[in-house]
Amino acid sequence: MGEVNCEGRSTQEINAEIKQQIKKGATEILVRNPGARHNLGVAILERVTIRLDGSVGYYCGGLIDGPNFEIAGSAGWGLAESMMNGQVVVRGSAGNGAAAAIRGGTVVIQQDAAARLGVSMKGGTVLVAGNCGYMAGFMGQKGTIIVCGNAGEAFADSMYETVCFVGGRISELGTDAVVEQPSGSDAEFLDSTLAHHLPPDLRKSKPAGRDFKKIVSGRKLWNFDKREWKTWQEAL
Amino acid sequence: MSDELQRQGRTLQPSGIFQPAVIEDIQTKAETGLYRIRGFGTLRQRRWATFDDLTFLPCSLTRIPLEGYREKCSTATVLGKRHASKPIRLDIPVMITGMSWGALSYNAKVALARGASAVGSSNTTGDGGMLQAERENSKTLIYEVLPSRYGINVHDMRRADAIELTIGQGAKPGTGGLLLGSKVSDTIARQRDLPVGVDQRSPARHPDFLGPDDMIIKIEELREATDYQVPIFVKMGASRVFDDVKLAAKAGADVIVVDGMEGGTGASPAILQEHTGIPTLAAVCEARAALEDCGLYGEVQLIIAGGIRDGVDAAKAMALGADAVYIGTAALIALNCNKALYVDDYQKLGTEPGFCHHCHTGRCPVGVTTQDPELMQRLDIDQAAERIASFLRVMTLEVQMLARACGKSDVHDLEPEDMAALSLEASAICGIPLSGTRKIFGI
Ligand SMILES: Cc1cc2nc3c(=O)[nH]c(=O)nc-3n(C[C@H](O)[C@H](O)[C@H](O)COP(=O)(O)O)c2cc1C
Ligand code: SF4
Repeated sequence: MGEVNCEGRSTQEINAEIKQQIKKGATEILVRNPGARHNLGVAILERVTIRLDGSVGYYCGGLIDGPNFEIAGSAGWGLAESMMNGQVVVRGSAGNGAAAAIRGGTVVIQQDAAARLGVSMKGGTVLVAGNCGYMAGFMGQKGTIIVCGNAGEAFADSMYETVCFVGGRISELGTDAVVEQPSGSDAEFLDSTLAHHLPPDLRKSKPAGRDFKKIVSGRKLWNFDKREWKTWQEAL
Repeated sequence: MSDELQRQGRTLQPSGIFQPAVIEDIQTKAETGLYRIRGFGTLRQRRWATFDDLTFLPCSLTRIPLEGYREKCSTATVLGKRHASKPIRLDIPVMITGMSWGALSYNAKVALARGASAVGSSNTTGDGGMLQAERENSKTLIYEVLPSRYGINVHDMRRADAIELTIGQGAKPGTGGLLLGSKVSDTIARQRDLPVGVDQRSPARHPDFLGPDDMIIKIEELREATDYQVPIFVKMGASRVFDDVKLAAKAGADVIVVDGMEGGTGASPAILQEHTGIPTLAAVCEARAALEDCGLYGEVQLIIAGGIRDGVDAAKAMALGADAVYIGTAALIALNCNKALYVDDYQKLGTEPGFCHHCHTGRCPVGVTTQDPELMQRLDIDQAAERIASFLRVMTLEVQMLARACGKSDVHDLEPEDMAALSLEASAICGIPLSGTRKIFGI
């Protein structure tokens, strides 16, 4: 396993070293002492596992296509933003805009996610074992958001085709968000996704798939229409 | 006035407030229940100071002109020297602005790329990502990163020659993009990960940063993603330009793009086009002052956009402090926009050649702003590319002509002292003496 020690080095040097080790054929890299630095592991495009043994700052794993990230601590804003493929797992919590605009892959947050989780998602899956903050799923286009705990205000606002599941309470639904009864296959999907991505102990403390609420777009904002004036008034 | 009234020698007195256009506007809103959306940019008669309120002061005895055909006048333009290891090097200072594939047809996008490349200029992607053919046909391609992140793709980003982080546009600062359902075809929906036929709105804010402090980190992320090679542009609509430009420069932008209120658009609410932002002339002056104020004038390059029509506007923008200009609408017009072809189709849209601003409908009679395969066919890519190249060449010749007449061997040496103001407003805004007075008004 390759190793990169962040102490005393700039982000540019750390990322260059990670890329150098990947070039030399490393398939697993331990990044020690990340010290909540911003922009660690940005734009990694290879199938490689990167373990960070502490907390990371903004945009960790941003713009990646393929790698696995395991973050032992918490993550700052824009975790894995615009990721195309791969998997990013955070043992702690994540700041604003986690998984924003991702097009594929999976983001797992084992504690809580702050505001604007999965905003403008275009694909992929985000799984939050804890709670999420304000405006999660805003303008989500595709992909799936799963929140095992409670969701904050303006949840799933102005969405296109992102599908959301919430295990706990929703403080307030966003404009044009509607709650649906999850189907049997939704429950199966939730059970298998949670079993696959969460450690057994953590999984045990979360609701069963059939107990989640499903939230989708009411499609009233998809096309300008005077009959939906009230909805538009809230959205614009 | 009807013929009958004219025969009777009677004139009609319209209300000064509720003029016929206002009456029509109110009644349309009453019928549709929607605010008005259209393309093209402001339709107002400009009563504010514009580039037309300035005139050049060519050499006579105080300064010596260059010989038009013999003495060199450089147009080479370098952008992004501040941090990038590979700044953009263009042969001319007139560039094609970001217009999305979706707002524009495939043929228009490819023609712009080819035409710009033929004369050593650049092309820019748009809200919807990069088109493969656009990359293949662009010598220099700027990749926009917009709030919507439609079509965002790290591989495309890494194939670009510069990144443009877009905060806003001149036609509608503070709001997101718009693409009406008639243009969200199968192909465009796939490219943007959207359902076919939706009236697509884009968010106004980026999903992963809010203010200038976060933007510093965002810019670093973009540099990491592109190995610190390509310049990072920051584009903004012109509102509080003096402060916004300083913030962008301090956040680490290599190049700042300021798009004035005359800026064009594929589709926006009409009131935003008419009543938001400040004019391009005012914007360039504030932007320059901002860069001077923070000691970064010359180090951070400035691109000005918004209603640039010809080499004269470009030369005036450059004399006031721009390193280069972006053109959008003028390039579309060179492609054939508003040309008297397929006149029946203009009439079906309720307009005439020369008056069209119907890009939002997706029924562009000349194949420029449509996704309809039949309409798109009307724009022959090779011929259109040739027209773009010719237009860019002429614009460049016009800038050079003015620069030579002012005694400059490089178009970038044009300066405010090369001009006089023709109105008090322009004098005050630009800090240039009003012609005939030797006085700068407003100071
Ligand atoms: C048809 C059309 C589409 C546009 N699409 C975008 C876009 O996708 N992203 C963007 O930042 N600006 C877009 N713009 C704005 C231009 O980039 C530019 O700011 C503006 O056109 C400059 O003004 P001008 O058209 O008067 O030259 C678009 C403009 C037009 C006319
Ligand atoms: S001719 Fe086409 S590009 Fe020009 S204004 Fe009309 S619809 Fe828009």
